[in-house]
Amino acid sequence: METKILRAEALVKRYGKKEVLHGLDVAFEPGHIYGLIGRNGAGKTTLLGCLTGQLRTTGGMVSYGGAPVWENARALGEICFSRELSPMLMFGQNTYKVKEYLRAARYYYPHWDEEYARRLMKEFGLDEKKRICRLSKGMLSMVTIVLALASRAPVTILDEPVAGLDIVARERFYQLLLEDYAETGRTFIVSTHILDEASNVFEQVIVMDDGRIIENAPTEELVGQFHHISGRADEVDAAVAGCTVLFCEQLGRSKAVCVRCNDEALARISAHDVDVAPMNLQKVFVALTGHKEEDSHETK
Amino acid sequence: MNGMLNEQTSIYLQIAQMMENDILRGIYAEEEQVPSTNELARQFRINPATAAKGVNLLVDEGVLYKKRGIGMFVSAGAVAAIREKRKAAFYEQYVKSLVSEAANLQITQTELLEMIRRAAGAQ
Repeated sequence: METKILRAEALVKRYGKKEVLHGLDVAFEPGHIYGLIGRNGAGKTTLLGCLTGQLRTTGGMVSYGGAPVWENARALGEICFSRELSPMLMFGQNTYKVKEYLRAARYYYPHWDEEYARRLMKEFGLDEKKRICRLSKGMLSMVTIVLALASRAPVTILDEPVAGLDIVARERFYQLLLEDYAETGRTFIVSTHILDEASNVFEQVIVMDDGRIIENAPTEELVGQFHHISGRADEVDAAVAGCTVLFCEQLGRSKAVCVRCNDEALARISAHDVDVAPMNLQKVFVALTGHKEEDSHETK
Repeated sequence: MNGMLNEQTSIYLQIAQMMENDILRGIYAEEEQVPSTNELARQFRINPATAAKGVNLLVDEGVLYKKRGIGMFVSAGAVAAIREKRKAAFYEQYVKSLVSEAANLQITQTELLEMIRRAAGAQ
């Protein structure tokens, strides 16, 4: 397996006058599963487009193994970006058949595994003769998953692969991903809004907010810094004095806050008469990126 | 290994604990092979690095040992070792929280001891 790093340095992307990526630095090391999360419009898909040479960057540089990615056929064969498929194209319905997408992938990806693609098609019950515009939302996602997994590309990027999939199919997808990862050890970058099953699969999580990367850390390390503290308001205030408080809810005399702190500070907090509970990635994500909603509520 | 993961503690600690439980119950006997980190990752849908962290914790404690190129095995004496470790943690984890909750509820020491005696008698 190739051991090349996919890297963006001072990456800027503007659409017309609107700047959507404000100078990002990020590196994807080989052999890890990365989760990319962010609210709608945070810039995730734009970042992925720039990383894979599908979008031209306005400033900065994207490289794979040290060589620029832009119009670099060799690098692009190593990187698979499985985008969400659209049932509509610019001039009407997307009447291409599933098998035409498979054929294109076969030509495009040098590591393409036809036998694996067939197996996945069967597993998902997909009919290759169907037209893209005739597929349900879940089936569209399944096609993107087949393309991504069977590409066997050393860097495989999936944008919203589980959108429209039910919980059983989502769990199955992550199982397939882990099976393939155990076998190949290739790099996966997965963007998603559904964090429930995903958070334990991501070794590293990258949080985007408003065109910036605000967190990039091992998932467990990031989540472990956040704690939910609740109890009597005065006791909670005393307990968390001097800590970074991310949100706060008060109901009569009781109060709940989310703090970000290290183990030492947590021990100090726990010594007070308060309840301390761990948080999951979804709650941490809301605490980190939900601020705008909160602000707008307050000003109303 | 087919318990359920919760969100109260780190996943790797839960993996280690489940493995210990299964060893105590005789699901994995001493000198027997246990599932690989990839098998655990697949079963629990967690990153293999997390599964490895949990398993390595038990390797460090001498509960499991690695046979290069073959896999992970339960050490001889693992059952006794796990029991000893849990006994040592029993005071910190259970007894202390029992006493502090009793204090919250204003249960007197005599009442508390009486309850423990009653519970032990019922077993």
